[in-house]
Amino acid sequence: MKAQPRGTDGSLLASLPWTIGALVVSLLPHIPFLAVWITAAFVACAIWRYTIEQRRRMLPSRWVRGGLALLCFLGVLATYSAISGVGPGSALLAIMAALKLLETRRRRDQFVLLFISIFLVMSSLLREQYLWSLPYLIISTLVILTAWLRMSAGKTETAKQSFTTGSRLLLYAAPLAIVMWVFFPRLASPFWSVPIDTSRATSGLSDTMSPGDISSLSMSDAVAFRVKFEGDIPESRDRYWRGLVMTSFTGRTWEGPKPSNGLRAEEQIAFRGEPVRYQVTLEPTQQRWIFAMDMPREWSLSRTDMGLQQQLYRTTPIEQRVAYEVVSYPNYVIQAQLPSRLRLSNTKIPLTSNQRTINLAREMRAAAGSDTAYVDAVLAKFHEEEYFYTLQPPALGKDPVDRFLFDTKQGFCEHYASAFAFMMRSAGIPSRIVLGYQGGEVNPVGGHLIVRQSDAHAWTEIWLERYGWYRVDPTAAVAPERIELGVQGATLDGIGASWGFSSHSQFLQDLKMTWDALDAKWNEWVLGYGPDNQKSFMEWLGMDDPNWRKMLLTLVISVVFLILLISGLMMLRYRVPRKDPAYILYRKFVAKTGLQQVVGETPQDFAARAAKDGRISPVAVGAVTLAYLDARYGAEKASSEEKLRTAVAALS
Amino acid sequence: MSSILWQFPSRVFGNIRNSATLRVGRWARKRQGRDAATTTLRPGRVYILPTGVGLIFGLMVFAMLLGSMNYNNNLSFVLTFLLIGIGFVAMHQCQRNLVGLELTFAGTDPVFAGQSIQFRIAITNQSKSARYGIRIYHDKTESDVHDLQPGESKIFVLPVLTNRRGWVDLERFGIRTLFPFELFRSWAWLHMNLKGLVYPNPADHPPEPPPSRVAQGHRQHDARGEEDFAGLRKYNVGDSPRHVAWKAYARSGQLLSKQFAGADTSSQWFDFDDVPATDIEDRLSILTRWIVNADRTREDYGLRIAGRELPPAHGDTQRRQCLEAVALFDEESP
Repeated sequence: MKAQPRGTDGSLLASLPWTIGALVVSLLPHIPFLAVWITAAFVACAIWRYTIEQRRRMLPSRWVRGGLALLCFLGVLATYSAISGVGPGSALLAIMAALKLLETRRRRDQFVLLFISIFLVMSSLLREQYLWSLPYLIISTLVILTAWLRMSAGKTETAKQSFTTGSRLLLYAAPLAIVMWVFFPRLASPFWSVPIDTSRATSGLSDTMSPGDISSLSMSDAVAFRVKFEGDIPESRDRYWRGLVMTSFTGRTWEGPKPSNGLRAEEQIAFRGEPVRYQVTLEPTQQRWIFAMDMPREWSLSRTDMGLQQQLYRTTPIEQRVAYEVVSYPNYVIQAQLPSRLRLSNTKIPLTSNQRTINLAREMRAAAGSDTAYVDAVLAKFHEEEYFYTLQPPALGKDPVDRFLFDTKQGFCEHYASAFAFMMRSAGIPSRIVLGYQGGEVNPVGGHLIVRQSDAHAWTEIWLERYGWYRVDPTAAVAPERIELGVQGATLDGIGASWGFSSHSQFLQDLKMTWDALDAKWNEWVLGYGPDNQKSFMEWLGMDDPNWRKMLLTLVISVVFLILLISGLMMLRYRVPRKDPAYILYRKFVAKTGLQQVVGETPQDFAARAAKDGRISPVAVGAVTLAYLDARYGAEKASSEEKLRTAVAALS
Repeated sequence: MSSILWQFPSRVFGNIRNSATLRVGRWARKRQGRDAATTTLRPGRVYILPTGVGLIFGLMVFAMLLGSMNYNNNLSFVLTFLLIGIGFVAMHQCQRNLVGLELTFAGTDPVFAGQSIQFRIAITNQSKSARYGIRIYHDKTESDVHDLQPGESKIFVLPVLTNRRGWVDLERFGIRTLFPFELFRSWAWLHMNLKGLVYPNPADHPPEPPPSRVAQGHRQHDARGEEDFAGLRKYNVGDSPRHVAWKAYARSGQLLSKQFAGADTSSQWFDFDDVPATDIEDRLSILTRWIVNADRTREDYGLRIAGRELPPAHGDTQRRQCLEAVALFDEESP
């Protein structure tokens, strides 16, 4: 059977723009993550559908729609190679919305579209949560509610009325939402683990390091993590945020071992001196590395272990912002004794490449006499010779260490760390590369430390008798200001100045810091409102020993109370003022006739009966009836009402 | 086979639903009692249930709650709780959209059996806030949807199909709204016991009326039509209130009926006993056709039925009185 296509009748003209608007608003945050063709397909379908409605054209046939649906589904499969997760999920939702628009014939079909836009808003929140996400959420909800009201609106309801009604209902719902949000018990662990967004690019550090390949380092201002210290903030030169450790070198690329905690790595560390306590709020990285200041001893994050190279890692990737507390000891000794197996693996270098460096290292080691003297000699070489710190070094090609050390002599932390570690290994000193962050910016407004992606850093650890694994940062020898002042300080002079980092005006800087402090508080108290925050907030509210039962009970009681309040407000709003005075006067007249008004009897019929009955003179009956009809249905209500009043008053 | 399978559940559940509706309806009738011709809806008699869309919305919000809990995502919690809040608010708004409306029976016009009779209900929004998406309904028929601005009064027309002559009782009708969001349906039942008159269905091929013309006379067809005002005469019991000259009445105090042009000399008697048919309903049907035809040609005609005698005349009043007498043959007057 073939469905007979019918032209549209333009009945959706009032609601369709709003429905499309709701879809657009809910799709906006997805656009940067969607393949371009999906956004284009949606826009095309929306314009197409609206034109159809406007010109009373016919909807595309079932075959066209089916073909498009198949094409789009295959397109999503080809683009994302998966259909679960937020990325392909939102792509599918966008495609569904576009195709559903093309078969939206009846008013009620738009329900599906509005439900899709609600899911789109929800999935954008799962993907990213910023300070502006809440205003966005409220605005998009308002647009969806207005579209919803437009959909079922009658002929006389204007868009402005729908919008006002939507806003009013949202305003009523807001206190309910707040109460439920505060008191709804938060779970400590999820029911199931589904990757939120596998298609998303990871930010932060890469797992390998090839200094010769990168010819410029991105200077992303994005926040990597924020740190709140319990006491004073340590000096910048002590703030080495350990991430991952790389132990093998191919001559070109440093690689880290897969983290494993076969041995209790913590037990290899001797902690000394006073601890530093702080809380880290880590932005999602999609990676497993957990950052802590050298050297962490305790951390509050679940499923997190210390690897063999004293790096912290989690068993699942960091897909959402996490906060954890750490206790670190700036003074420590790692592995005072190094097993020969490890000594061997940490001095391994490929002997076929970077020959010049190997030879130089052996000569310098022989000249120095001791390992420590050799380390000093290499650092002095970096410091005294013409080595430059730059974020835009030339590419290095074959034998990158040789090229860097003897020819280009320009590089950033990775180049220096790599060259230094290579020289150490060439001379038989165990060494390894640590990737992480260094320094960070103190926010005076919030009193916390901001560590940005641009603070990413690479340094080395060498193993020396009695000292164990000892941190050496060769970049400090080249550009001490990088360590003291951060990347921006290091690049302000020399080559980096042309890179375009001018110092901000004080006002802008203050504004930036205030925004960052606000963002940090927002992250801590709203986005990070989890079981712990909730518990302390409940205690602050005066709840003894908060548990989920008490919270749910409070939730129910407050919701009931609020609903009663809202119900009362509505009663007030929709209350019926005292009866129409004309009606009251007419009832008085009816009572005086001594007759009963029969069901369905019009005032005219009743007048005829009353006149015949004769208890009241027909003249009076006519006068009252006429005045009443005019007062209720006539044009000049006020004057007729006055007439009615006199007429009824005259009835003895 | 497949169609039987398909229909089976809907039939069974349809029956269950029908009997439940019946019971609930009886309970409501007992609870509310008979309504006056003008009734204001109190909160206690406005009922509310979620719609299908409302149930789907509920499921969706529940899924969103599970998702928010799983990802411990505080902003999607905000969205979920806002939607739950919207649900609660919509429920109250939906009920309030009906409470306080004043319904008044605004009459009905007689129809012939088989046509649908239109009950007119005037609904007044006496509050200071607009009411949206209101309709009245009975069984499967319903009125158009109207909005009522503050203070506005509108006539809602409820068509009810008729199949036999006599009084048609509208024992109960409902008023309902889906506003806002169509998540909930709130409704109220009204038992005003409205009545409407149904004339018999005019016979399609009636026999000629028996020749009982008392006087024959020639008259000119008046092109101006029968509704032309011709003068006033004294009011008689049974005259249509529509023809009462209210303005004149207010001036003089004399109840006068408007007379319309077209009075002529020819007249004819229609006698129930003389109708050439055996079945009573057939006879009434034929009588109805005769009256309608005679009225159309504006001849004078009289009617003898069930011991009543309506003297020859013509015009709206005569037509109405005659048809009423035929319609109510053997029926008690209300």
